[in-house]
Amino acid sequence: MLFRLMERLDQVFRFERAAAHCDIPCGIYDPIIAQIDALTVVRMIDLMHDLEKTDHKGIDYHNSMSRYIQIKEQHAENCKREIRVIWGDFIKPEHAQQYPELNPLVHKILKLGSQARQTANRSAGEELLEAVNQFAEIFWRIKGVATKRAKAPYAPALEVVYPDL
Amino acid sequence: MCRILRISGDSLIPDYHPGDFVLVCKIPFLIGPIKPGDMVAFRHPDHGTMIKEVAALIPNNRLFVVGSGRHSVDSRRFGPIGQDTLIGRVIWHLRPPGYRQ
Repeated sequence: MLFRLMERLDQVFRFERAAAHCDIPCGIYDPIIAQIDALTVVRMIDLMHDLEKTDHKGIDYHNSMSRYIQIKEQHAENCKREIRVIWGDFIKPEHAQQYPELNPLVHKILKLGSQARQTANRSAGEELLEAVNQFAEIFWRIKGVATKRAKAPYAPALEVVYPDL
Repeated sequence: MCRILRISGDSLIPDYHPGDFVLVCKIPFLIGPIKPGDMVAFRHPDHGTMIKEVAALIPNNRLFVVGSGRHSVDSRRFGPIGQDTLIGRVIWHLRPPGYRQ
């Protein structure tokens, strides 16, 4: 509750950032981790729905469902974190000027990440993935790397933006 | 004399995560003398506003500050800092619910 309040205040007042840089700087940034996180969210939602269709609602059901939910929570939060790190440490003001859709997109991802935790609705996970894909496209454009869209070679086999190397 | 800052970067994980909020204060009677183990925010001419842990006080009242990570950019790289650069000592730390222990 308090943290959410602070986040809202931060949106208004934009508190000063204090850097706890862990950089050599290594310069290793890649949105693929966030993309895999978003894919995992969708996968967990699918597994939750598959499990819900079964007739057995015993202890094993609760055990499996809890695990799916826990993993969904973790990956949705990690997706937000990965995007925050790239946005905070790699994205520079000139990038945001060059791509005016970037900052609203990051904000959207953070909101969608929370939404994906709050719901078991597949479309929430799909929206998160698509927003992260759009972020990846801008990220690679900034790096001067072409991208392609291809279906992930594993369930849930949704479209992912990859660098076209 | 007191201000809220938001953490960016990973060098203080697991104690401080990117996105955490901290309240830092410079009011002497509130924070007392700076000592090893204190978390401090300061302004560095090259690196901007930073937050690190005080590892030691060294001659001329200067502070040797470090991050938790091996690759942290800190006094091991840019040397000790003067206390005049301090924004304050962390007196309150707020983490998102997901990171609570």
